[in-house]
Amino acid sequence: MSTLTTGGTVGLGIKRISASKEPDTTTKQYPPLAILVDISSCIGCKACEAACQQWHDLTPPIMTPEEVVQRRIAGYQSHPDLRHDLFMLMKFNEGETHKGFTWFITKYQCMHCAEPGCLIACPAPGAVIQYQNGIVDFDHSKCIGCKMCLVGCPFDVPRYDANNKPWKCNFCVDRVAAGLEPACVKTCPTQCLTYGFKEDMVEKGKKIVEQLKKRGYPNATLYDPAGVGGTGYIYVLPHGDKVKEYGLPENPRVDASIGLWKGPLKVLGSIAIWGALIGAFLQLILWGPIKVFGGKEEEKEG
Amino acid sequence: MDIERFSGTDRVLHWVTALAFLYCMLSGIGIAYPKFHWMLTLLGGGEFARWLHPWAGVVFSIGAILMILKWARDMVMRGEDWAWLGRIKAYISGRHEELPEVGKFNGGQKLYAWIVFLSAIVFFLTGIAMWFPENFSMGLVRWSVVIHEIAFIVATAFTVIHIYMGTIGVPGSIWGMIGGKVSETWAKFHHPKWYREVRGE
Repeated sequence: MSTLTTGGTVGLGIKRISASKEPDTTTKQYPPLAILVDISSCIGCKACEAACQQWHDLTPPIMTPEEVVQRRIAGYQSHPDLRHDLFMLMKFNEGETHKGFTWFITKYQCMHCAEPGCLIACPAPGAVIQYQNGIVDFDHSKCIGCKMCLVGCPFDVPRYDANNKPWKCNFCVDRVAAGLEPACVKTCPTQCLTYGFKEDMVEKGKKIVEQLKKRGYPNATLYDPAGVGGTGYIYVLPHGDKVKEYGLPENPRVDASIGLWKGPLKVLGSIAIWGALIGAFLQLILWGPIKVFGGKEEEKEG
Repeated sequence: MDIERFSGTDRVLHWVTALAFLYCMLSGIGIAYPKFHWMLTLLGGGEFARWLHPWAGVVFSIGAILMILKWARDMVMRGEDWAWLGRIKAYISGRHEELPEVGKFNGGQKLYAWIVFLSAIVFFLTGIAMWFPENFSMGLVRWSVVIHEIAFIVATAFTVIHIYMGTIGVPGSIWGMIGGKVSETWAKFHHPKWYREVRGE
């Protein structure tokens, strides 16, 4: 059933692909990568957003002041939401903490979950790929446009173009495959974004959290939600008690309904439909068609 | 002498609904069950099948609702129909004499008519949410997928039986939907009460 080689489309080695058997991963193995987003050192310059658009050749329309007012978005945010031609967005949310007025800034894009809801929900073999290094990517040539990746995503990320093809952050898989860092990391002027092996990023993130706690942010935390097996983007949140204010779900997990129709309901459906086919066949061979007057008295009646 | 069982309108309505359902069923199996993904190739390719599936679904739903509107009076389940269903084993094993006398439709046919009607409503409502997931709350869309799948299992299992009974299982019945006429002996044997009504006895 595998529709890809173990190398995948860019030779990185496959961990998992949608609607297919688990690939043999003994040939190529690679530890997961991660981008650490340290919100405490983000200055909100949106250079990452610009770099993302530049690298991916995206030209999302610039919003007019009227649209900004109409959509009621904070003036500092470039767009109200992700778009098919906008893979990442800096979100700005104003709020109050013990420090007084606080700007909750988040980098919003695909999180590259270890347990990706999009991949689990996708019914098209090979349309969603998870590489050995943890990057989750879409293969439009295999996609049928059913939008189940959006239904499966706990972070509401994929956006669809006019042909119902989904787009999202691909962790600059082309750059990463060539040994470069993702465009957003490359451009970040404050080292708010760092990139490397997930293990190292978690360690680094924990250190920053400890420092923040000493500096008067007792609720600082590292956001790496276990409900989806951890993510490829991990966040240092200075106000870890206000995850929602950052626009992040508190405990994201792949919805139970997905597992239900992917698992037990498929088994039940197979039993019911094969059962009906076999039942009809058994009726045919055990008793035969239900003929008029048992097939005997027809002539008499006629 | 042959007897008219289904009028021209009945037949057109039935076949439009049936063909739309068949396309939905086969493309649905191809979309939802990865092992049968290859079937989409025969149905015009994955992208095309996914595009046509909801439109065929709209045709099926409208057809099924019109059909029940036209046939509802004949499809009302009565005590004798439940009794008939209770003795379904006698029916499929050819012990015809043990069954209650049947009118235009037997209990099984009536049950199937209501299953098609109910499934059409469920398919339509859940299908709209799945067609435009951006326009509904995600919780609603997610559970719509589950309910759509349950409706599929029930409707498809019963449709397999329906197709078998209408073709091989009950010889002669297919002509009710092709040409519209069944033989007098067939009517007298399978639907005696209806036969007497038609003959005015």
